[in-house]
Amino acid sequence: MALLELDGVTAGYTAVDALNGISLRVEDGEIVTLLGANGAGKTTTLRTISGLMKPRSGSIRFMGQEIAGASANAIVRLGLSHVPEGRRIFPGLTVRENILLGSSNRGRVPRAELDRDLEAAFGIFPDILKFADSPGWTLSGGQQQMVAVARGLMARPKLLMLDEPSLGLAPIIVQQVFRTIADIRARGTTVLLVEQNAHMALSIADRGYVLETGRLIVEGPPATLLDNEEVRAAYLGGRVTAE
Amino acid sequence: MSMIPQLLFTGLGIGSIYALVALGFVLIYRATNVVNFAQGDFSMIGAFIMVVLAIDLGVPYWIAVIVAVVTMAAFGILFNYGVYYPLRHRTFLPVVISTIGASILLQNGVLAAYGPHPQSLPPMLPFPGFTVGGVFLDSQYLLILVVTFALVALQYLFFERTMLGKKLQATSQDKEMASLLGIPVALMIGITFAYSAVLGGVAGILVAPLLFVSINMGSTIALKAFAASIIGGFGDVTGAIVGGLALGVVETFGAAYISVPYKDGFAFLVLFLFLMVRPQGVFGEKVAEKA
Amino acid sequence: MTTNATLSHPAPATSRGAIAGGIVLAVIAVALAALPQIMPLSGYVLNMLMQAVTYTVAVLGLTVVLGYTGQLSLAQAAFFGIGAYAVALGTVDYGLGFWLSMALGLVASAAAGAVLGLTSLRIGGHYLAMVTIAFQQIVTLVLVNSIEFTHGPDGVSGIARPNLPGVSLTNGRAYLTFCIVVLYAVALGVWYLRRTRLGRAMQAVRDNELAAGVVGVHTYRTKVVAFTISAVLGGLGGALFASGFSYISPDQFSFAESVVFLTMALIGGVQSAFGTALGTGLLILLPEWLRFLKEIYLAIYGLSVILIMVFMPEGIWGLLERIARGGGAKPAAALVTPRPFRLEIASDGPAEFLETRGLAKHFGGLRAVDGVDLTVRRGTVHALIGPNGSGKTTLLNVLSGLYKPTAGSVTLAGRDITRLAPHERCAAGVGRTFQNIRLFRSLSILDNVLVGAQRPGAPARGEAQLRERAYEALGFVGLADKASELVGSLPYGHQRLVEIARALAGQPALLLLDEPAAGLNPTEKQDLVGLLRRLKGHGLTIFLIDHDMAMVERIADHITVLNFGKRIAEGSPRDVLRQPAVIAAYLGEVPTHGAA
Repeated sequence: MALLELDGVTAGYTAVDALNGISLRVEDGEIVTLLGANGAGKTTTLRTISGLMKPRSGSIRFMGQEIAGASANAIVRLGLSHVPEGRRIFPGLTVRENILLGSSNRGRVPRAELDRDLEAAFGIFPDILKFADSPGWTLSGGQQQMVAVARGLMARPKLLMLDEPSLGLAPIIVQQVFRTIADIRARGTTVLLVEQNAHMALSIADRGYVLETGRLIVEGPPATLLDNEEVRAAYLGGRVTAE
Repeated sequence: MSMIPQLLFTGLGIGSIYALVALGFVLIYRATNVVNFAQGDFSMIGAFIMVVLAIDLGVPYWIAVIVAVVTMAAFGILFNYGVYYPLRHRTFLPVVISTIGASILLQNGVLAAYGPHPQSLPPMLPFPGFTVGGVFLDSQYLLILVVTFALVALQYLFFERTMLGKKLQATSQDKEMASLLGIPVALMIGITFAYSAVLGGVAGILVAPLLFVSINMGSTIALKAFAASIIGGFGDVTGAIVGGLALGVVETFGAAYISVPYKDGFAFLVLFLFLMVRPQGVFGEKVAEKA
Repeated sequence: MTTNATLSHPAPATSRGAIAGGIVLAVIAVALAALPQIMPLSGYVLNMLMQAVTYTVAVLGLTVVLGYTGQLSLAQAAFFGIGAYAVALGTVDYGLGFWLSMALGLVASAAAGAVLGLTSLRIGGHYLAMVTIAFQQIVTLVLVNSIEFTHGPDGVSGIARPNLPGVSLTNGRAYLTFCIVVLYAVALGVWYLRRTRLGRAMQAVRDNELAAGVVGVHTYRTKVVAFTISAVLGGLGGALFASGFSYISPDQFSFAESVVFLTMALIGGVQSAFGTALGTGLLILLPEWLRFLKEIYLAIYGLSVILIMVFMPEGIWGLLERIARGGGAKPAAALVTPRPFRLEIASDGPAEFLETRGLAKHFGGLRAVDGVDLTVRRGTVHALIGPNGSGKTTLLNVLSGLYKPTAGSVTLAGRDITRLAPHERCAAGVGRTFQNIRLFRSLSILDNVLVGAQRPGAPARGEAQLRERAYEALGFVGLADKASELVGSLPYGHQRLVEIARALAGQPALLLLDEPAAGLNPTEKQDLVGLLRRLKGHGLTIFLIDHDMAMVERIADHITVLNFGKRIAEGSPRDVLRQPAVIAAYLGEVPTHGAA
């Protein structure tokens, strides 16, 4: 049984947020990446899975349980954590508070356990430890991305969905973020990764899907996708048919 | 000679009432982006519950206060589900009108139940007050100052030191992200309404012995509290408190030295000047330009 | 041609149904106006009608400022009071007569409205709401306390009614008919306003203030004018009210009454003059109807207000309109073949058409644009690329005047435009589109493009020429046949085209496009490339941002690459896309180049 399985999911109304029958699966322990141009529907796919948008039809199963139409709240409680595009750090809360709130889906957790998890999070991202008590808005984009991922991990997710973690980051930071993603998987968390930087994404992924205008057009392991004409086009941001 | 400290004392006392109601405005505004026009009526309801309990039913005064506060919390939750929650996905105008409707409903509901005659409540403390250095410290004003200070301190501890406080803050900063983390957003908003109703109710209970308890007692207080929260920088908690206190002082001094009939105007004159000179308020950030 | 275009512009609900509706409305209107003359009315009914009619005049002011322009005013009762007290004091204390007193009242309302608007509308947000609350309170206090002047809380009695040449209006029934006629004139004016240049500008501000500025609407002036009109209508209603009841007192003009006015506007449907009348009538009658409930009737009234908002957030008229639209036929398509699109662009002047020198925009510590020198040559297609967050859109916002630069200068055809506001840049010939499409969502496609066509300094003059121009631009992007549809109903790709047509209708010399290809399917992208090439053929200079390198490579003459707010490369597509710095920062480590 796949950890996550989408079958014929449609959602959205306008062309930018429309999904026209998406079927995909993520197996336990994989890193799966979802590629595609701006506006292809990658973000919508994640938003639909995490319950921010309601699908119009189709089924979404997480650990065998139907979650299509459930609230975002209920879905994250099942262990499916979504780190959305743009990082969305609470600007008025400190880094430590931001990360701690990541555990909100776990019900009552003893303080000692939270502290252990917090320490572990700072262990993965030692660079943000020195900002632990700074308000979220004072951090740079890269640091905020690390806080966002750390916050997502505090949910102890079985599946972590990351939306464009490299967005607006300097190349060297991007490499660091991707190393961390690989590391997170090595610790046992499955990852569904949405990226525009296809090359980086495919360098750590087990499999990938390519979306175009709300439809999946190819699926396969990195080597196959890198060889694929459509992917090469999509990864430079869409195609223009030859005249 | 003791005129100035005396006025300062009275002004801070009245300002505390504005501050409490302003705080209620700000908390609801931050959680929902809507100005609650029925905020003042929370004070009115609080005061009337006291009249019912302490005068009509003869419940011991301090027990009545506790029951009234608890009732206000429940009332806040009810208010949320009746007035805000069904409209939460709408733009702000329908919600504003809905709160206006609620205000009419509450005032006239109480009117129908209680008639138009203003009620009065006895002072809450058994002694009139002290005289310190020529300044008479009225016991009711003292009580108002102490309770306000305690509430603000408690609120600070609650928001800064508890996970629930952090979740409320997170909800007011980014509802969608909060829901992605598993924070029950609807519950958080319900709690915010409950707490705002308690703040308004406490303000009403505290001010009741100084004024008559009437169905429109909340309207004047609410307008001034609203002015106070704008002067402080709308949406800012510290601003609401400082704005409320400042307004109370300005008004008291204005009445003493300039004009009694125009006492209620000073608040709005100050508001006017502020909006011209520094529209973001004392503590507000500069309005962000965003494309 | 012109007549055709005029004929073919249907109001959204055109058709025989609408005409029939109009006739029915006219009949009812005449009957109502004649009613006081033919039917014996009790004093009670007369008073209620008088109140409904004079209130509606004032509430129509809110239709203009809130319904059309989207600005919240909470002092309509204060303006109502200014008009009422002008007539009351003028006729009772100063013997000025009705007409002169009313004129003074209107001038006073207009002056107060203009001053309040000028001081509070420069900044967006709800400052007008807050300023008007303060104003309302101060007016109430003056009315109550300035006893020598206003008679204080006792109010003013014995207010005279006017006479017209040959007609005495002192009789209540005659005066009511007079008020109804004034109301019709005002309602017609407000209804017609929506279809004028000014009305379109107001609605553009309401739907999207940012985009309105960029397509040439002087947003600040438009808001001030709207608010002033609203204040005058408030004053007019008040003046009529005072004479109608011959007695007024301060409590009739309190903040609570302002709230009542607002509620009337919103309950009926604030975007429509008819809705406003409906809401006002209903809220005056509702308490009367509910009187059988005795003590609790006002409480039930409050509850009804909540329920109406919960179930009809667009007001009663909005609901009726939606039902009518759902049931009725689709609006008729335009029957015109638009004239071919023209662009008159001066070909003289420097070849360096758009130039920036040391342009910078910082947000606090973030250097979004950090000292950029840029030269866009006349008649070329110039692309700006770079990673997300590299400052491309910020740069475009500085170029179109939405952001004031922290440092540096922008020149257009040799003219320094650094300090110009968005609408002034539009007048100087800068058009633009937005990454996240910013159309005026409640307007038709044609009205959207008309707002673009009517920008200051555009060659098109008069309604007929404007329409012609709008149809040309729509024809150019291939949407002339959809002109009367609402933009919200269009698919995404078409919305992008409407945005381009809106910019083109204003006759720009420079077009700024922010990710025009985002979200388009391959066919639409293909069409876009063709469109941009034709525009270039017309001599238009195009500056665009896009992530679609294949498209950029095909249409751009020149590329600038931005990273961390700084220019890192510049040159022809062929050269730039192969530079190692560009590949590292943006394209990624590409083993072989893409499919284009």
